[in-house]
Amino acid sequence: MRSILTMLGIVIGIASVIILMSIGQSAQKLILNQVQSIGSNLVIVIPGAPSNGKFSSPAAAQGIVITTLQQQDIDALKREPEIDFAVPEVRGQADVVYGGNNATVGYTGSTADFFTVSNLSKMSEGQAFSKSDVDSANHVVVIGPDLAKTLFGPNINPLGKTVRLKNVSFRVVGVLGKGGTGAFGVDIGNLVVMPISVAQTQLLGINYFNVIVVQANADYDVNFVKSRMSFILEHNHGITTSAKDDFTIQTQADILSLLGSITSIFTLFLAAIASISLIVGGIGIMNIMLVSVTERTREIGLRKAVGATDSDIMQQFLIESILLTFIGGIIGIAIGAAFVLLIYFVLSHFTTVGWVFAFPASAVIMSIVVSSIAGIVFGIYPARQAARKNPIDALRYE
Amino acid sequence: MIELHGLQKEYRQEEVPMLALKGVSFTIKKGEFVSIMGPSGSGKSTLLHILSFLDRPTGGTYTFLGKSIDDMSDKELAHVRNKDMGFVFQSFNLLARLSVYDNVEIPLLYSEVAPADRRALIEASVAAVGLTEKLHTEAGRLSGGQKQRVAIARAIVTDPNVIFADEPTGNLDSQSGIQVMEVLEGLNKKGRTIVLVTHETHTAEFANRIIRIKDGEVESDTLIAQRHAAPKILK
Repeated sequence: MRSILTMLGIVIGIASVIILMSIGQSAQKLILNQVQSIGSNLVIVIPGAPSNGKFSSPAAAQGIVITTLQQQDIDALKREPEIDFAVPEVRGQADVVYGGNNATVGYTGSTADFFTVSNLSKMSEGQAFSKSDVDSANHVVVIGPDLAKTLFGPNINPLGKTVRLKNVSFRVVGVLGKGGTGAFGVDIGNLVVMPISVAQTQLLGINYFNVIVVQANADYDVNFVKSRMSFILEHNHGITTSAKDDFTIQTQADILSLLGSITSIFTLFLAAIASISLIVGGIGIMNIMLVSVTERTREIGLRKAVGATDSDIMQQFLIESILLTFIGGIIGIAIGAAFVLLIYFVLSHFTTVGWVFAFPASAVIMSIVVSSIAGIVFGIYPARQAARKNPIDALRYE
Repeated sequence: MIELHGLQKEYRQEEVPMLALKGVSFTIKKGEFVSIMGPSGSGKSTLLHILSFLDRPTGGTYTFLGKSIDDMSDKELAHVRNKDMGFVFQSFNLLARLSVYDNVEIPLLYSEVAPADRRALIEASVAAVGLTEKLHTEAGRLSGGQKQRVAIARAIVTDPNVIFADEPTGNLDSQSGIQVMEVLEGLNKKGRTIVLVTHETHTAEFANRIIRIKDGEVESDTLIAQRHAAPKILK
């Protein structure tokens, strides 16, 4: 009974390490999957100089208005054979209203190619707006399925209905085929996409772009495309040295490695927190081992009398404490795995988050190693106390 | 087998030296049954601790099987205790939650006997003290006399040259005490050396020689012509 209670500290410690590391890795996989789902040959141009540090964001992302990305950049990029699509985007936030229903959403103004490049061509209702819609600045929108439900309910077909954003009327021509959260946390389910011409003039009053998304031709190396784009944009913007660039080009790989390192730090951080409970568990083991050494003083005396050496006694108590922590570790891994499965089950069945199951082997190996090491570290002092007992005194101990 | 010359043991109690043994000399030959007697505080326990390699003398010489204790490391002492000495204590010192079998096995855990050969040795030892039917009983469930017989089985399992028994009947009723002495007597008849420490004259007289210790010195060393025989008393 006492051994079980003692092990509980290690069990909880290991279980929490397993759970937190697995959650961290699931989150990492989830984020990386979503970024990857936009396609590995995507290159993104953001206005503003590239940041120096890996973890600081370009100026545009910090809310500074930069107006350098223009239509001429799109035209120049489109002329390149290694570029299949160059899609400008503007973004904003507004209330969208239909009848008495409304919702605050992020909207995107773009060209017809947006749907191809973003992998959103499949509609559940209607169709995407066309190039001619963009050219003639038609007031049409494509909306996400969740937003359609919010605005129109289950019984009204959204197609052909008129919604209002900032008092500008738009006709719904399509409903996106899939919802959920897309790349960079974009809520696709509640997305509103409209021709960029309308968004620029009617809603935002700007003539520049917030982002240019380029889809590179699969026959070309993405890094080559990136350097070509750099060259073209510098030429267009009259920049002579790349140190003075007023734009940032990020490839999928750049974003993946950035996200990868952020989430790895996040996972490590979680593991560090969990290992505190391991230390607490280890101290519990040490405590109980000391009590055990005292209680078994006579046994130690007897064993020494019949021929056990100091190192025999030390070994015996060390093995006991390693066994305690090792078994605790195994139970902890089992409980951790059960919790991870439970979390996966709950998140995948009751939410729309595309939760990824991750049970990192590294966490299991680390847990076994760490719990055994805890057994040695926290067992060595009690074991030494036992080994150093004088057999005569130990045999007399009451 | 055992040779003592001017053996001394000095303790320091709060910096004051105290001589527990003041030059003890005697020899014990193989096959003897020796009782060491003396009142409490006489130094007989200290003497037994040194004889059984649990402690070292501070003066004089002690030679066991031709080897001086001064020439041996702690590890070698442990090895000799395991191989050549058996121990029987007043308070049995059995592990109550282990079976008779597991208790008797303990000295073998520290010996060179291969695990496969242990069972036969354990069963023979337990049979020698007449407790075969209790082989798998928890030690804590046995009576005092049975416990002491298990302790004797444990003492002989490594086939030692000498058995040190420290007040082996001290915690037993007289009937059980006699049974235990009978076992020791039987072992002695088969050639084993036995060194018994006791303060009971009655128990001491099972031996063929009594060494009396008083104030850290040998007071007398006498052979017993008419030693007790346990079977006779039992009848």
